[in-house]
Amino acid sequence: MPDAVAALNPSDRLRRMFRDPLLLSILIILWALLALFIVYPLASLLIRTFTDEGRFSLAGVFGILADPMQRQALWNSLLLGTLVGLCGTALGFLFAYTAVRTNLSKGWVFFLDAAVILPLISPPFTTAIAMIFSFGPRGLITYDLLGLTSVSVYGLPSTLFSETITFFPIAYLTLKAILAGIDPTVEDMAFSLGSSRWRVFRTVTLPLTVPGIANAFLLLFAASLADFATPLILAGNSFPILPTQAYLQITGMFDLKGGAVLSFVLLVPAFAVFLLQRFWVSRKYYVTITGKAGAKTEIKSVRPWMRHLLLAVCLLISVSILYFYVLLFYASIVKAFGADFTITWKHYHVVFTEGLQAIRDTLIIAGIGMPLGGIYSVVMGYVVCKKDFVSRRTMEIVSMINYSLPGTIVGIAYLLVFNDPPLMLAGTAVIIIACYVFRYGPTGIRTTVAILQQIDPSIEEGSSSLGASSGTTFRRITLPLILPAFFAGLGVVFIRSMTAISATIFLISINWTLITVRILEKMTELELGVAAAFSILVVVIVFAVIGAISLFLRLFRQPGAPDMANILGG
Amino acid sequence: MGFSPETKKIPFSGGTGEALARIIAEKNNPRVDVLFGGPVETHIAGIKEGVFEPYKPPAYGEIAPRFKDPQGYWVGIADDPLVFMSNNKFLKEKGLKPPASWNDLLNPAYKGMIQMADARTSGTAVTRIFSILEVNGRDENKGFDYMKKLRQNVQVYTKSGGGGTIPVGLAQAGAGIFFIVDALKTRQEGYDVAISFPKEGIGTSVEAIALLKGAKNPAVGKKLIDWSSSPAMQNFYAQYKINFIPAHPTVKTEASLAEIIKGAKIFPIDEAWAGQNRKRIVARWIKEVLP
Repeated sequence: MPDAVAALNPSDRLRRMFRDPLLLSILIILWALLALFIVYPLASLLIRTFTDEGRFSLAGVFGILADPMQRQALWNSLLLGTLVGLCGTALGFLFAYTAVRTNLSKGWVFFLDAAVILPLISPPFTTAIAMIFSFGPRGLITYDLLGLTSVSVYGLPSTLFSETITFFPIAYLTLKAILAGIDPTVEDMAFSLGSSRWRVFRTVTLPLTVPGIANAFLLLFAASLADFATPLILAGNSFPILPTQAYLQITGMFDLKGGAVLSFVLLVPAFAVFLLQRFWVSRKYYVTITGKAGAKTEIKSVRPWMRHLLLAVCLLISVSILYFYVLLFYASIVKAFGADFTITWKHYHVVFTEGLQAIRDTLIIAGIGMPLGGIYSVVMGYVVCKKDFVSRRTMEIVSMINYSLPGTIVGIAYLLVFNDPPLMLAGTAVIIIACYVFRYGPTGIRTTVAILQQIDPSIEEGSSSLGASSGTTFRRITLPLILPAFFAGLGVVFIRSMTAISATIFLISINWTLITVRILEKMTELELGVAAAFSILVVVIVFAVIGAISLFLRLFRQPGAPDMANILGG
Repeated sequence: MGFSPETKKIPFSGGTGEALARIIAEKNNPRVDVLFGGPVETHIAGIKEGVFEPYKPPAYGEIAPRFKDPQGYWVGIADDPLVFMSNNKFLKEKGLKPPASWNDLLNPAYKGMIQMADARTSGTAVTRIFSILEVNGRDENKGFDYMKKLRQNVQVYTKSGGGGTIPVGLAQAGAGIFFIVDALKTRQEGYDVAISFPKEGIGTSVEAIALLKGAKNPAVGKKLIDWSSSPAMQNFYAQYKINFIPAHPTVKTEASLAEIIKGAKIFPIDEAWAGQNRKRIVARWIKEVLP
């Protein structure tokens, strides 16, 4: 990771820390926040898992592992994660390759981007509901179109399909950046040495993207492991998976301990993936851009017929994604989807009357969380990248924990510790905001680090040798440079406030509720039209905000700063 | 009073079980004052966990013993029987009549087409399971044999009691077992569904309200309980088309609802028996029926 500063021995570092009181106080605040909102809840979860009436005990874990259904759930979770990882990465690669290596016109790329981004910014359940509408025993496709009856929509295949559609955009965005970075001249060299296109793809292009592929696979595996909404609707009863089992254990059996144990079991593979990604994949990136890029040469990766084939496949998939959203919109404007297709605005009327509190709460929470998330990510990213101090690496890893863990775990851990004195935050907006800031801030942190690594340290050194304090240097020199990261941090916190559910479903209360939770509620209260209308509202708001942030990012664009698409991918 | 029937909203999605789980988790620092609604099994489970405070509203003396806890830990605000709900189009296609016996649901024509609630999260499911045990003369082995056979026809067990109603409305599922309040709401929403009752009988559950121990605003909570157990609130059922059977003896059941339940064999679940055995029976259901 970033070693922008020369290593000093620990005692020198300590001394330097004390010589800079501003840095020291920032470090103390950061560590206090990390301890409170990351370490303490997680430690409580572990303690709850491994103790029985105050004593160390493995009974809880063995109890779960002895239960064949929970073992099945663990196995299913891993299987699902692997399959989603494989299918999503393949699909993401196909899209990314088509988008950047086949000389598509700008219009086509924009269309692919727009279609692909929809699942990423949608509220939960969106694809799951559309799946049931389309592929159930009376689905529009299975029954009305193909005439099949008694098809089962519940189980592994539909969950896999739905999660792949929901998460493959992450792979797309990860791989697109890497494929776009491969200089066409590298391929040209191979062509001029007489290689066939297939051979170039196999021996040049593909090997260069291997680290990206591994990274995409791990990201998708983790996303699937953490996903709670899709399996809740689609997995059915014969395909139990861990996050929903943990949720049922807590909400149905009133068994917080059982839920804690189950989330611990889930924590092990999640953390393994995090470490793999952090220490193995992230070191293996190949850079083919060296100094000035060579003269612009045309990309010749594929023949025209191949290009048409690739584009056709991508279009087919994009259209099916769009179809899901058209269906959702349709469900929001008819009286009762499937029974009474009279056009009506009554569901939107409900959203803007009865649903107003949820909208207001969500916007308030997102509004407060946004700047906090932005500031947190910029300060944290700056400190771990540019400052040398004791515990720097530990701080960086700790700051990533809540991000890398499935939301169910974070939600349960927060529920465990913030419910009793001394910190009775449960039921307040603070706990929800904290959850978002520390869970989604890391995207901004990584963006900050990425930008800072590209800034020559001599600029800052110049400032301090002219007598500026570290505060002034930061404010006058560094801050303007990392503004894009600030927007990235706040953007992600905002989007997730509008769309996430897995952690916050445990944290809402009578005073503070969220649109996503209202969507789930409306679905269980049989008001599908209202749930659909809420979902459409979320998509519209998020699209608008993304548009605004992209605009800012373009205005303040720095070398190395990612555009909005990459931020969503992280 | 500012309360309308809409005040029923508890900030939880789906099952009452979830609401109780939250209340137990928040025991030391209750965030709500009352648990309003939900089948009484949930409230009885809560008494064992020590989360409720006895309170007898003015109407306490007027309502039947079935609708109140002897110590006043909860009072009933409505009666809510289970029903069979099936999709008319599905029935027509398969040439079936609305199911009129528990055994009708075992017909292979329903294979993979029945939805009902999951006993891990839903009070509806628990009432259903105790209904099945009751019609089997409380012979647990016989009851579970039936449930295992029924499992063959079940498409999915849903998280909340009403979770299967829209699928049945859309004919994604052919039939299901729901509380009448959910079933009739589906019909009111415009879905073409048939409501029927098994000739062997089916259970009904009391919808109850209870005051939380350590509630922050006990006065407000008590006021809500006073009002909910009074005819003033229960008269709203008919007005707002909430298909509950009022618990207060002076409030009349809405005419069309009374017509539907006329002649149906509906029996109350023995709450003492259900309360004592709930945990064990649900565990057995998870082990033997669910997989």
